[in-house]
Amino acid sequence: MATEGLTIFGKTVFDTLFIDYRIMVITAIISIILFIVGMYIQLEKWGRGIPEGATKPYGAWGALKLIISKIFEKGIGHALEILILDVAFQRRTYRRRKLEWLMHILIFWGWIGLLILTIVAAIAEFYGPFILEAGPEFFISMWKSLELPNDIFGYMLVAGIVIAIARRLFPAGKDVQARNADIDWILILGLLIVVITGFYAQAIRETDGIERDVIPVYEAEAPGFFNNITVLFHEVFTLLFCVAYVPFSKYFHMITAPLTILVNWGGE
Amino acid sequence: MAKEKPSINTVNLTATQLMEFDACTRCGECVKYCPTYDARDKNQDIEPRDKILRWRDFMNKSYGLKARLFGPEKIPPEKIKKFTDDLYNCTTCGMCGTVCPAGINTIELWESTRANLVKHGTGPFGKQSLFPKLIEEGHNPYMKQQKDRLAWMTPDIKITDKSDIAYFIGCTAGYNQQVLGVSTARILNKLNVPFMVLGEDEWCCSSALIRTGQQHINDTPKKAAIHNVEALKARGAKRVIFACAGCFRAAKIDWPRAYGKALPFEAIHMSQFLAEQVEAGKIKWEKSLDKTVTYHDPCHLGRHVGVFEEPRSVIKSMPGVKLVEMKRNRKEQRCCGAGGGVKAGIPDLALGVAKARVTDAKETGAEALISTCPFCRRNLLDGRDELKLDMSVDDLVVLTANLMGLSTDVKPPAPGAPKESISDLFRTQTIPPKPPAEPKKEEPKAAAAPKAEAPQAAVKEAAK
Repeated sequence: MATEGLTIFGKTVFDTLFIDYRIMVITAIISIILFIVGMYIQLEKWGRGIPEGATKPYGAWGALKLIISKIFEKGIGHALEILILDVAFQRRTYRRRKLEWLMHILIFWGWIGLLILTIVAAIAEFYGPFILEAGPEFFISMWKSLELPNDIFGYMLVAGIVIAIARRLFPAGKDVQARNADIDWILILGLLIVVITGFYAQAIRETDGIERDVIPVYEAEAPGFFNNITVLFHEVFTLLFCVAYVPFSKYFHMITAPLTILVNWGGE
Repeated sequence: MAKEKPSINTVNLTATQLMEFDACTRCGECVKYCPTYDARDKNQDIEPRDKILRWRDFMNKSYGLKARLFGPEKIPPEKIKKFTDDLYNCTTCGMCGTVCPAGINTIELWESTRANLVKHGTGPFGKQSLFPKLIEEGHNPYMKQQKDRLAWMTPDIKITDKSDIAYFIGCTAGYNQQVLGVSTARILNKLNVPFMVLGEDEWCCSSALIRTGQQHINDTPKKAAIHNVEALKARGAKRVIFACAGCFRAAKIDWPRAYGKALPFEAIHMSQFLAEQVEAGKIKWEKSLDKTVTYHDPCHLGRHVGVFEEPRSVIKSMPGVKLVEMKRNRKEQRCCGAGGGVKAGIPDLALGVAKARVTDAKETGAEALISTCPFCRRNLLDGRDELKLDMSVDDLVVLTANLMGLSTDVKPPAPGAPKESISDLFRTQTIPPKPPAEPKKEEPKAAAAPKAEAPQAAVKEAAK
């Protein structure tokens, strides 16, 4: 069997995303570094707090230590309960805002689900050749098994975005209209780009039939599909927008809101 | 070129509180419930969300990424002053925190930010700045004498020198709402519960200072908490009863922080004590009250501490009394408008919120509005009077005493005494009208006199 995957450390990596993994790896590393730097800047900002009676600020690590100690102050069991009920299932939002809860759950779990599946796929890309010494079949079968959950999480994300747009176009009341709503549109637009290009990429993979065509594609049709510009844009944009940009954007509440709920023990 | 210094600082704010400013999702749930936002005709500047967003903006301008790279951005002093004033247009009722999907602890956040702004020099608001002097020097905010702490005592009331049980009277019941003091004492006597009081040794709980961000000024609340705790401990108190929700909140939450450890006694609210007695069958109702009443949860007893059901169980046990709930009750109750220094600092706002709460009560068809906080009662009475409604406003303890067959009469009220000093529900007493002020005589050196009297007059006004 011809193998036209990409070579790294003497092993052939089969990337059915049709993207040069080097671009992906570099973009991923940049995104993660930016995310960590952003988080550190925020931690450092919080660490400037000087509580009553103290003479100097906590510092970034002091802030992190305080957050962690507050989360577990009432025990691991209690922290887990809050994590499941209030973070994962957003109990506080559910109590008062059912539609917003649905929107949040769809976007949050759609986003998380796709992130997890992306990580799984990325691991499989390397696990096959490096650990199993397997050919492209391993990754192909893995990718096929991820198709359904990928679709489900993708549609969840789409549904959440549709609700988010509808809520902003047809607000329930003047009081609940979000302030500085322009920022929301930037974020919604960004997510829309992620979703639309994501479905496009998926359509290419499914139309071509991975198990049948992956090798010919690599052999014969590259660069027709290899580094397809839309698919490449999707992967790079998603990494930058959904990872690197988070600490610098409104999406930061995906981190701060759960942390706040945890340090305040569910807000009860 | 030297970088500009940040226009704000981060003193009195913890790292987690600074994180909380970043946790607001701008959803606006808090806006739907904020009592001061409602009372101020939905002024966006005082909604909780807007205040969080503005402080977040200040923080980012002073300490965010751009500030780190290019230096802090100057925030005009008038913007900070405006923010401060808006921040004080809040009763610190905590409703915003209760409904916040992100679980932001807004009560602590507002108080810490207020303390920060007091240190910054822009807080507190108006007459609230008189609290530290009044409470530190006089141990009460009402310009009264310590020797008059037990001036409400009547000969029939028996108080022991030492006892396991203490009654912490509080400044409001001790000086202005004697009906609450005598009712509490007579109930305890009737139940054969020996109790002691600190009397002249009782200092203000200092709630007003903490709520307005002035706790650091001469450490008055800390000193007061330690003094009260030690005095109660020295007299052997194992259980301390509070009939004032504000004092009770201070004892439950603020005193242990100031004391540095758990209190050496149990702090209990009178409504909890009464519920226990009802449960144990020790209260014998001697009268019936054929009225429909509604219950207002004081923020300091309900949302802040979590006592919701005990007052209701006492009311439900009363013969003839029908309890109806307001639409907003328990955790979601609407504040009376008096807390957070608003009654003293921004009385028109306090009245606006009180009117909304009294209207809530009136909508239930209740004939009486019952609460468990003298401060709430005073403000709700003001709201009721402003709306000219035919509805009584009284304290649960006063109602209990009356239905136990006890007198709720206080010493004959002095002319012009505050209306809240007697029972509103059981009008067995009247307050003689204040004699008209004598016309001022023209004095030759009158020109300087008003200036000299002005601070004193302001202090008296603030203490109301």
